[in-house]
Amino acid sequence: MNKKQTNNYTLALIKGLGRSLWAVLRHAFVKRETVSYPDIKRTLPSRWRGRIVLTRDPDGEERCVACYLCSAVCPVDCIHLQARQNGDGRRYPETFSIDFSRCIFCGFCEEACPTLAIQLTPDFEMCERHHESLVYEKNQLLIDGQGKHPGYNFYRHAGVAIPGKAIGEAEGDTPPVDRDNNLP
Amino acid sequence: MGKIMLDGHAIPFKLGDNILQTALEANLEIPHFCYHAALGSLGACRLCAVEITPKDSGKAPRVAMACLEPSEDGLKVSVSAIAAQQVRQHVIEFLMINHPHDCPICDEGGECHLQDMTVVCGPPYRRYRGRKRTFPNQDLGPLIHHEMNRCITCYRCTRFYQDYALGNDLGAMRLRNEVYFGRFQDGPLENPFAGNLVEVCPTGVFTDAIFRQHFARVWDLKTAPSICPHCSVGCNTLPGARDGTLRRVRNRAHPELNRWFICDRGRYGHQYSEHSARPLAPRVSGTDTSYHDALNAAASQIKSTQDCIGGLGSTREDLEGNAMLQALLNNLGGIFTAFSDPKLETATIAAVSSLQNIGNAPSLAEIEQIDAALIIGDLTAHAPMIDLALRQAYRKGAKLAFLYSSPTPLAQFATTAITVSPQEMCTELSRLYQLINAQSAAEDITDTPMTDIAASLMGARKSLLIGAIETMTSQEVSTLSKLATALGSDTKLAYAFSGANAYGAALLSPTGSAVAMLEAVEAGQIRILIVAGNDPLGDSRFGTRWRAACRNLSALIVLDCILTATAKAADILFPVAAWTERGGTFINYEGRAQGFATVFHRPEYLPNVARVITDLAQYLGHSLQAAPSVLGDIFSDFQIPKPGTTGSLITAPSLPMPATASAHSIQESCNSTWQAALASWYGDEALASFAPGLMALTPKTVAMIEPTSAIDAGIKNGSKIKLRGSSGSMVLSVRFNQDVATGTIAIARNVLVQLGVGHGDSLELEQVL
Ligand code: SF4
Ligand code: SF4
Ligand code: SF4
Ligand code: SF4
Ligand code: FES
Repeated sequence: MNKKQTNNYTLALIKGLGRSLWAVLRHAFVKRETVSYPDIKRTLPSRWRGRIVLTRDPDGEERCVACYLCSAVCPVDCIHLQARQNGDGRRYPETFSIDFSRCIFCGFCEEACPTLAIQLTPDFEMCERHHESLVYEKNQLLIDGQGKHPGYNFYRHAGVAIPGKAIGEAEGDTPPVDRDNNLP
Repeated sequence: MGKIMLDGHAIPFKLGDNILQTALEANLEIPHFCYHAALGSLGACRLCAVEITPKDSGKAPRVAMACLEPSEDGLKVSVSAIAAQQVRQHVIEFLMINHPHDCPICDEGGECHLQDMTVVCGPPYRRYRGRKRTFPNQDLGPLIHHEMNRCITCYRCTRFYQDYALGNDLGAMRLRNEVYFGRFQDGPLENPFAGNLVEVCPTGVFTDAIFRQHFARVWDLKTAPSICPHCSVGCNTLPGARDGTLRRVRNRAHPELNRWFICDRGRYGHQYSEHSARPLAPRVSGTDTSYHDALNAAASQIKSTQDCIGGLGSTREDLEGNAMLQALLNNLGGIFTAFSDPKLETATIAAVSSLQNIGNAPSLAEIEQIDAALIIGDLTAHAPMIDLALRQAYRKGAKLAFLYSSPTPLAQFATTAITVSPQEMCTELSRLYQLINAQSAAEDITDTPMTDIAASLMGARKSLLIGAIETMTSQEVSTLSKLATALGSDTKLAYAFSGANAYGAALLSPTGSAVAMLEAVEAGQIRILIVAGNDPLGDSRFGTRWRAACRNLSALIVLDCILTATAKAADILFPVAAWTERGGTFINYEGRAQGFATVFHRPEYLPNVARVITDLAQYLGHSLQAAPSVLGDIFSDFQIPKPGTTGSLITAPSLPMPATASAHSIQESCNSTWQAALASWYGDEALASFAPGLMALTPKTVAMIEPTSAIDAGIKNGSKIKLRGSSGSMVLSVRFNQDVATGTIAIARNVLVQLGVGHGDSLELEQVL
């Protein structure tokens, strides 16, 4: 390395150091971004991916139809559920658990969910002393509201019959064909 | 033989195959819906569009249906051609116009042919914004759920149900884009093979209603190659389990046995392993204990006794379990048999012995090719898939002849059907034998139906003689085998045994050991009885004797996976793994040894029979060899067949034909004029009787009597009669039925058990006014 190059290098070093020092000095006087958590809490954006909830449809019924898609897509396999049926044909999860000690909050489940039931919320304060307490069961997951997607009701679009909606009464359905009649 | 050029690859074809078959044979997928290997091509769905370039260079390429276009040498076919792709895309788009928004709640999802094809061929988004056509659903019974909106009109269901399984209560209705597939009225599907609709339908119109109750997606199911334990056909199955419970059973193709289908008993009988009364914890004198304590209790009972010990295996217990029990008894110097019913034992041994002499029974694929058959008894209940194979033979024009005592659904396809009372069956068979032997069939005009049977058997290219062992005596078996010998080598002989491993059980049980065991227990010589998978106390013919005899026992040790009458009476009960929870070997009606693998484990510790016996031997201070070497000693160069393979015929030392004289002496003649006959139905089997879904279809319990003999005795249709047997009586209402032999009363198994009579035994009848 020749002398000229060494000089250039030292100059750049001093310039850089000066800039950093200046930035530090300047930030000592600007408004602070950090808050003193937990005394002060930030409002997080609504798309923040934190604690997962199961929502209800506008009629107050469980949205989840136990299709197993969220548990299939989950990259860490932390969702476990078992489907059941009401006598009347409505399907729901009999059990639904999420192991939050494994969950990586990727949001894939929310993306896969065809009924908008499973949603990630901006709550991240879920510390527990024991691992088992981080396995949330259905009663801890199911909330009373519709979450961030109000208005959607899967069964109003599906073809199956449920109480209060017979075959042919879904949105965009025609009344059922009379199979005993050959008239057009 | 030639080759077609499929997208530039030369694919060899069999003459007569179409392009789709050729491609599928070479493991190349051309999208399709309506083509099915068993049902053939129809050209209904139009999805299998391909572009064909004629050899004649003057002609332009055209789009054709691969399933309808025969393969020709040098034919250029393109699946990827834009024109063909467009046709497929349009087909899917049109199908999706009316398709419901159901995938999340559709049980087909994940293994749906329509989902797959839509992803492969279809447009990614729905453009149609109009209204959808809808259909009402039907209640098709406890086994099949109907959701008609999802239909794509491929006609696979009716082609299977009507054309293949010869059912007549499911069909297509209405017209145009409103074709409806269902029954004329709501009600359970009557065909014993209806469950196959679940697999045949490429969409979620027909789904498994039992699986639906406790549904899991296919990707979550644990599976392993298994063998159906519900009869001696030994169909290959693929059970699926999740979270320590069994959820469903599906068909697993075997090239010579069940290829695409299984019967409903095989598909729905599995519920026995989820039965709420299934024993899951070892029990000593009625209290649950640990496995270790139960073994201790059993061992101390055995050690303390001076008397002989009995080991009763079973025809539904696997080869390993039976062989280990036999090995233990050999060590302890006791008696072993796999049969609780001496009559069944001699008949089964006679049948296995005659198969060994005459040649092995034909596979299902071979049965489909026969052109004449003589069928003794009811195959629909005793070997459902042989029934389905015979339906295929019938479709190809085979002449089916029947000799039967109680109704059998297959007889509706009979060329000649003769009802014969159980006690006359042997005489009738001998008469047929004489007719065939004398070769004078044509001259005997007084005996037309019998001569018809003789003529059709003698005139056939390939014929089959088959009988249901449970309703046959060893004399009948030996007469049938003489008949087979007389007819020559073009005649095959087969038997529908009682129990999935009856063939194997017969190879292990010395002739006469069942009666020896029963008598030794009655005489108080055997004071400890180990029962593995058998139910002597619930037997129809010998149950009364066994129940009395078992009072002499100081300990009844039972190993079983269902709560039978014997398991209920057990002093020490070892619950064992059900068939899906363990591996083992069954020998089917052909003598084919097939292995099955453990599908899953339950949370409870449930060993298999071989394990319990090995542990018990250890507690007794004996050490038994492992099951494979025990079996290797019995059958020379026996290899445990690998689950998932096609299995191989077992080579076993030949069994002596049991002396037939003793067979009939069990039944004392009595002055009564009526005989009992077993009226069975396709769900009638020990394990399946613990499957609630299937049992919901049990026919109503009635006494079926042939009208003329009933009227002669002054019995009216619908009237009440009281039947009395050796262990009890029962009042039943009378149902006239032409398919019952004269002087015979056909009654269900549970009635036979309650009365204490077997098939062919005498009954006392009293009219109730
Ligand atoms: S994807 Fe949605 S509807 Fe399906 S199981 Fe998960 S939460 Fe329920
Ligand atoms: S049949 Fe297939 S495509 Fe249709 S709803 Fe069911 S899973 Fe979805
Ligand atoms: S019900 Fe199923 S098998 Fe029958 S036509 Fe419709 S889609 Fe095809
Ligand atoms: S025919 Fe027998 S082995 Fe085959 S599925 Fe039916 S019960 Fe099982
Ligand atoms: S498979 Fe060829 S038209 Fe349906």
